[in-house]
Amino acid sequence: MLRALPALLMLVALPLWAAAPKDLTWAEMIPPDAPAEVPNMKPLHDLSQMSSALSAESAPAAKQDMPNAPVVKSLDGKNIRLPGYIVPLEVSEEGRTTDFLLVPYFGACIHVPPPPSNQIVHVKSAVGVKLDELYQPYWIEGAMQVKASTSELADAGYQMDADKIYVYELPE
Amino acid sequence: MYLFRLAMASLANRRFTAILTAFAIALSVCLLLAVERVRTEAKASFASTISGTDLIVGARSGSVNLLLYSVFRIGNATNNIRWDSFEHFANNPKVKWAIPISLGDSHRGYRVMGTTDAYFQHYQYGHQQNLQLASGRAFATDPFEVVLGAEVADALHYKLGDKLVLAHGVAVISLVKHDDKPFTVVGILKRTGTPVDRTLHISLGGMEAIHIDWHNGVPAQGSGRISADQARNMDLTPQAITAFMLGLNNKISTFAVQREINEFRGEPMLAILPGVALQELWSLMGTAEKALFVVSLFVVLTGLIGMLTAILTSLNERRREMAILRSVGARPWHIATLLVLEAFALALSGVVAGLALLYVCIAAAQGYVQSTYGLYLPLAWPSEYEWTLLGGILIAALLMGSVPAWRAYRQSLADGLSIRL
Repeated sequence: MLRALPALLMLVALPLWAAAPKDLTWAEMIPPDAPAEVPNMKPLHDLSQMSSALSAESAPAAKQDMPNAPVVKSLDGKNIRLPGYIVPLEVSEEGRTTDFLLVPYFGACIHVPPPPSNQIVHVKSAVGVKLDELYQPYWIEGAMQVKASTSELADAGYQMDADKIYVYELPE
Repeated sequence: MYLFRLAMASLANRRFTAILTAFAIALSVCLLLAVERVRTEAKASFASTISGTDLIVGARSGSVNLLLYSVFRIGNATNNIRWDSFEHFANNPKVKWAIPISLGDSHRGYRVMGTTDAYFQHYQYGHQQNLQLASGRAFATDPFEVVLGAEVADALHYKLGDKLVLAHGVAVISLVKHDDKPFTVVGILKRTGTPVDRTLHISLGGMEAIHIDWHNGVPAQGSGRISADQARNMDLTPQAITAFMLGLNNKISTFAVQREINEFRGEPMLAILPGVALQELWSLMGTAEKALFVVSLFVVLTGLIGMLTAILTSLNERRREMAILRSVGARPWHIATLLVLEAFALALSGVVAGLALLYVCIAAAQGYVQSTYGLYLPLAWPSEYEWTLLGGILIAALLMGSVPAWRAYRQSLADGLSIRL
C-alpha cells in the first residue's frame, strides 16, 4: 500500500501539472530579436551639475525608453503565471483593486526612466485583490493577451484578465 | 429548554443587575460596530470618489496632499500651475481627455470649483459612473452660471434660476464676498455620495471674472471696479489653474506620461496615480484605524468581564437556590448549564440591544454626519465581518460563562441543603 502511494500521487499530480500555467519571467517578454540596446556610458546622474539644481531641473525629461517596445507575439493566448508588483488604477468600493498595472519592480525609481512598455502588464480582475502593502509582490495567473501596434496611441502591449492573484513568497 | 426557562426566571428575579449588565454589553457592542462601520464606510466613500482618472496633476507637493485637495476638497493647494502647462499636456497625443480645475473660493462653507465642460463629460466616480444632472443643464458660455452639487442645493434650498454670491476664501463665514458678480443656478447634479455633492461648479471663465479686478489682493475700489457686464466682454482665459485630471488612451503609457509631467521643463509639477495615492492614504490611516479597533475591542472585553463579575458575585447568594434545585433532582451539570445559559442570555440580549442602539444612533445622526463630514452611513444589515464580530462576542461570553459554571458545579457537589452562611 505504502509503495503504491507515490504512484497514486503521480497519477493525481500529472494532470494537475499539465494544467498548471507556465511560469513566465519578465525577460521572456522582450523578444529575442529586439534591437540590441546601445550601451549608454553616460552616468545617470551628472554629478558635475549638482551645484546648480535649476539646470538639473531643466534637463530634458528622462523619456520612457521605448514607449512602444516590441512584444513577444507568441505569448498571446498562453496561460501563464508571472510575479510582479501591483500599481493600482481602479479601486472598488470594497477596497479591492480591480484594474492595475503589473511591473517588475516597485516604486518606479526616479533615477532611471520608467520601464519600457513591454515590461508592463495591464491586468483586469473581476474579483480584484485587497492590497495592504504596495511593496508586496504577487503572482498573477491568467491568459496573456498581446496587442502589438506601431502606434503608441492604440492598446499596445501586454494585457491580462487575471484568473488568480496571490501573494508571492520567497522560495524556501 | 426547561433549563433555559429556569435560567430566564432566575435572571428575571435579579432583573436590575441583569439589565445593567446587558446594557453595559450593549453599549460596548454598539461602540465596536460603530467604529467598524465608520471605518468601512469612510474607506468605501474614498474609494468610490474617483474612477477612470489615470493621472492627477498639480503643483509640486505631496501625492496625498494633491489627492486630498483636488478630489476630496480637503486642505488647500500649495500653488497654482500655468494654463499653458495644462494646454501642453492636454494636447499630448497620449492623452484622451483632460479636466482643468481651479479652487480657492467658497459659498457658505461649500467649495467652489472652476472647471470646463470636460468635467461633466469625463469625470467618473463609483464604478465608472458619469455625473448626471438632476435638473437644468451644465454651464454654458455666460461666465456667471453655476451648477450645484445635490447636497448644496438640498441644504441651502436652491432651485434653478436662483442667484447666489460666492465668497473669497474657504471659510464657512466669509467677510469678503464677490457680491458685485452674482451667479445664476442653471443646473443641479444628481446625488453621488462623493464630495461632488458638496461642490459648486462654475466655468473657468467665471472663476477668472470674479477675480478680474482683484489685482491688489482686495477688490478694486471706486473706478477700478469692473462690473459683471464689463467682465463678460473681456478675455476670460485663465492664467493659472489649481490642478488637472488626465485620462489616457493607453493605460500602459501611464508611467511615461507621469514621468514626462514630473520632469516637465516649463514648471515644477507633480503627477500622481489616484489609486496609488489612495493606497498611501490608507496605509497612513491604517494605524489610527487599528488603534480605534483595538480600543473598542477592549471596551467589549470590559463589558464581558463586568458580566462575569456580576455572575460570580451572585453565586454566593444563590447557594440556597442551587441547593434547592439539587434537592428536587437537578444534577450538577444542570447547574453548570444553567449558569452558562445565563451568561449567554445576558450577552445575547446585550448584542441585540447593541445592534438596536446602533441603528437608532445611525438613524439619528445620518443627516448630520452626511452634511458635516460628507460620510454616508447606510442603515444596512450587518456585513459578514460584523456578524463574525458579534458571533465572536457570543462565543467569548460562553467561554466566560464557563468560569462561574465550573465554580457552581464544584459547590453544588459539596454543598448540602443546609449551608452554613
